[in-house]
Amino acid sequence: MHKLLGYLTSTAAGLAMLAGSAFAGPYDEYEGTTLVVNFPAHPHFNAVMKILPEFTKETGIEVEVDQLPYLKMRERQTLELAQDEGDYDLIAYVVFSKADYVYADQLENLAKYFMNPKLADPSYDAGDLIDGYVYNIGFAGGEKGYLQGKTGSLFGIPYGSETSILGYRKDIFEKHGLNVPETYEELLETACKIPELEPGMGGLSSRAASGHHASHAFLLHLAPLGGRVFDDQWNPIVNNEAGVEAANALKKIVECGPEGAASFGFGEALGSFLNGDTAMFLDTTVVAGQIDDPKKSKVVGKVGWALHPEGTRRGSQTGGFGIGIPANAEHKEAAFLLMQWLTSKQGDKLVAMAGGNPSRFSTHQDEDVNEKFPHMATFGEALKHADPDWRPIIPVWGKINADLGTTLSKVLTEDLDVQEALDGVAERTRTVMDEAGYYTWQ
Amino acid sequence: MASPSYDKQNPAFFALLAALIFMAIGPIFLMLVNSFKLDVDIISGTSGLLFLPTIQNYETALCDILWYELEHLDYCSLKFGQSFINSLIIALVSTVLTLVIGCMAAYALVRFRFMGRDVASVSTLMVRMVPPAVLLVPVFGLWNNEFCIDKTTMVGEWIRDTFGGRGDVCLAGTYSGIILIYVAMNLPFVIWILQSFIVQVPRQLEEAAKMDGANPFQVFFLVVLPLIKPGLAAAAIFTFRIAWNEYLLASALSDRDTKTVPILIVNNMSEFNVEWGVIMATGMLLAIPPIIFTLLASRQIITGMTAGAVKG
Amino acid sequence: MKTATLNRLTPYIFMAPAALIMIIALLYPLGYMIYGSFRAWDPSQTLSETEFVGLKNYISLLNDPNFHESLAVTLKFAFVVVSIEMVLGVGLALLLDRNIRGMSILRTLFILPMMIAPVVVGLMWRYMYHPTVGTFNRFLKSIGLDGVDWLGQHALMSVIIADIWQWTPFIFILSLAALQSLPSSALEASRIDGATGWQQIWHIKLPLMMPVLIVTCLLRLIDAFKVLEVILVMTEGGPGLSTEILALRISRTATEFRELGTAAAMSNYLLILLMLLTASMFAYTKFQEARAARLAAHAKEDD
Repeated sequence: MHKLLGYLTSTAAGLAMLAGSAFAGPYDEYEGTTLVVNFPAHPHFNAVMKILPEFTKETGIEVEVDQLPYLKMRERQTLELAQDEGDYDLIAYVVFSKADYVYADQLENLAKYFMNPKLADPSYDAGDLIDGYVYNIGFAGGEKGYLQGKTGSLFGIPYGSETSILGYRKDIFEKHGLNVPETYEELLETACKIPELEPGMGGLSSRAASGHHASHAFLLHLAPLGGRVFDDQWNPIVNNEAGVEAANALKKIVECGPEGAASFGFGEALGSFLNGDTAMFLDTTVVAGQIDDPKKSKVVGKVGWALHPEGTRRGSQTGGFGIGIPANAEHKEAAFLLMQWLTSKQGDKLVAMAGGNPSRFSTHQDEDVNEKFPHMATFGEALKHADPDWRPIIPVWGKINADLGTTLSKVLTEDLDVQEALDGVAERTRTVMDEAGYYTWQ
Repeated sequence: MASPSYDKQNPAFFALLAALIFMAIGPIFLMLVNSFKLDVDIISGTSGLLFLPTIQNYETALCDILWYELEHLDYCSLKFGQSFINSLIIALVSTVLTLVIGCMAAYALVRFRFMGRDVASVSTLMVRMVPPAVLLVPVFGLWNNEFCIDKTTMVGEWIRDTFGGRGDVCLAGTYSGIILIYVAMNLPFVIWILQSFIVQVPRQLEEAAKMDGANPFQVFFLVVLPLIKPGLAAAAIFTFRIAWNEYLLASALSDRDTKTVPILIVNNMSEFNVEWGVIMATGMLLAIPPIIFTLLASRQIITGMTAGAVKG
Repeated sequence: MKTATLNRLTPYIFMAPAALIMIIALLYPLGYMIYGSFRAWDPSQTLSETEFVGLKNYISLLNDPNFHESLAVTLKFAFVVVSIEMVLGVGLALLLDRNIRGMSILRTLFILPMMIAPVVVGLMWRYMYHPTVGTFNRFLKSIGLDGVDWLGQHALMSVIIADIWQWTPFIFILSLAALQSLPSSALEASRIDGATGWQQIWHIKLPLMMPVLIVTCLLRLIDAFKVLEVILVMTEGGPGLSTEILALRISRTATEFRELGTAAAMSNYLLILLMLLTASMFAYTKFQEARAARLAAHAKEDD
């Protein structure tokens, strides 16, 4: 009896499989798989969380998300990717992790997946992905090792592309007849004028807290003011004129900023803008959703957007995240399908409508998206000026970044001389670079 | 303590007492109040106590174990309920283990002269000072890379088949990994405290039990243990407190399924979105068990603290 | 015969589990760390794959200004915190060492700050110190004063205040217990001699409490070097390195800079520091015991 039953079920299963392969959908083989993915706690990925059920409905692939703050996420990944077999099938990584992971051979090269006819969707339209971000986040092995170039190849796909943009209070600017700053001079002037015009209000809220925050804020000004951390020979030039100017700009912004600005992390800086304590905000595009959310913001409808002001050049930041498949993942092919789905035209639009940051040209021009988020056109314009080399992406950057960040924080809170501080950073950076072998060919 | 006759009352002392009490619980009270406020109310802060209390923050925190859907949430991102259970399992198991193992050792150190006794007692004392931060590096390395069972061995294969997961079976990421380090960290302190209680147990009682034919284990479990109950209570509270509150090692050793509440709270102070209301609510939930212990067993805690310090 | 063997083995059986666990999870890791501190060790490597670098980690720390600063911050934090807490705690105990209504409530509520998770303490204070939303600045502004940049320029002071809030009760409770167990005969005698309150405190109470106070102080000092979570949540060590105590720097070096070897060497420096403190405590209690024994012996001779 049992035998018969077993025979019947196996035949049924066989028939079902035959039937399946007759109309084989690309997802059938992976139905019922559970993917474990590691995403940051970040507005874009909060939007992703809302669209994931759609993916499961469409494909039958379950997704379990481990969401962590992004610095924690990096720590976790460091550990997880080093194992022989890891837990994560798909990870989102911060731009500067790209160097570490690719260098340690921990991310899959995506070529073999895009070559696989069973996996790659012909209507994917990779040309529609914003170039700067693909090269900044996904590419490795080109120029300087981390930029686009003939020797490079693809290890990840940008997802959650951010650039810097200037948000300003339309009401305040109108009230005092201020012009929206287009250059750095105007920006600094306006930032310091506002506290005089509107007592109790800060000019521009910037992150400045010790470490990553201060460093980020500084680099944000360094690129448009014409500076770089390294020259083409990896010599630190962060202490040149442009570097000093950028640090002074940051210092001035913090001084004319809201109260307590020197200890602001990103959350505090944004919080003070949301609370109406400051008239301008110059940071990532990711905040737009929260500014329009009446539950979190007191400035709904009062904020206008403009391009990151120009110094000697336009150079807004390229930031955000990429998604990639760890080399030690269990379900690599299914993970690729998820990755492709998320970054497809359809997925990109879905996430944009849910409040995320799209990574495709077409999404920025999409009518529905623009109707829901009128700022999207300005954001699309800003992306064109994004500078993929505003920050070096090399394995030792974490250490240099930390040093730069703590030193700048000292400039902001302890009145350390700017030139002296940056000279110190340059000197220590040279030692780090030397130890890492960057001067071998000199 | 409940002495019926009080000294002459001086209003200045009352004022001082009231001020001290206010200072001690003020911040905790503030957290409690804020945990019932919406973020908008916390940020605008227009009125100290005049606000419409809401349990929305608690609902957000507990969204993964609530039986009803929440309207104000698109999806449940905080897995607080799961972490709370993790914290409970880890704290309770490590407390019980520490107590059993600790009082056995304390008994041996007090009642027996044996080879290596001095070494044991001195080293117990020395390891008491080791900060968790110092253990971070080696424990991280050992638990992740060395204390592992190869998954191709029989035991390893069995564990992988039964519990799932991938790769070699390592201590890191499991309850037992975290429990092991908590037991080890707490043992020296527990042994230290319990020694001072065991010393006070009259020897005659043990002798009498031996006369009646009890073996050493019976003497220990049936005679000594019941007599040092206050000491055990104090030790239990201290051990539980450390295991319940610890963040650093747990964050290095846990994975996504074994996260404890302190980790969740630190993670939730995410920079993109400081949601004060929810953070305060999670903080409150984490603080409730220790607060209850304190209110119920303050005398044992004080006894334990004094015993721990006075017996050098 | 069998019972005799059992009896001889008893202490070992009782000791074994504790010894085993402490060896596996404390002593072995400490040895592992000392070994690792002589190697260039990245979190993605197992220790056996690493390269031996001799004293390099230790020497480069000695030349590292950031380490010096962090060490200075640690010492400043620990000593300031402990001295203020000692003065406040002992002072309050002397003041409140009387039978008044409400004392037991105070004692109960005073324990709360110590029992609550450090991460929660950190977040409470981070909220109260917040430049705009926080309680303190709101209060200052409501009475017409300027806000203070608590976690910015005054970050070290602010974390010290939080620690004082959390741990003064510890000293208070221990000194109160010590006070209340003082022999009443000594106090009685001095009262009959006509000693004023001050004289009594200075010449009788404090000297008699001294052994307990010293042990308490050392215990607190050791604990002050262990503080990490409160500061992590409040400032993450910033601004600059102004609140980056050693424990925090160790954890950052390990997780953020991914230099386990250096972190291990730093841990060893911290251990040596604590070892000296513990050794002094140990020596002190041994000295006390010896003195007590001597006194007891004298007393016997006098009989």
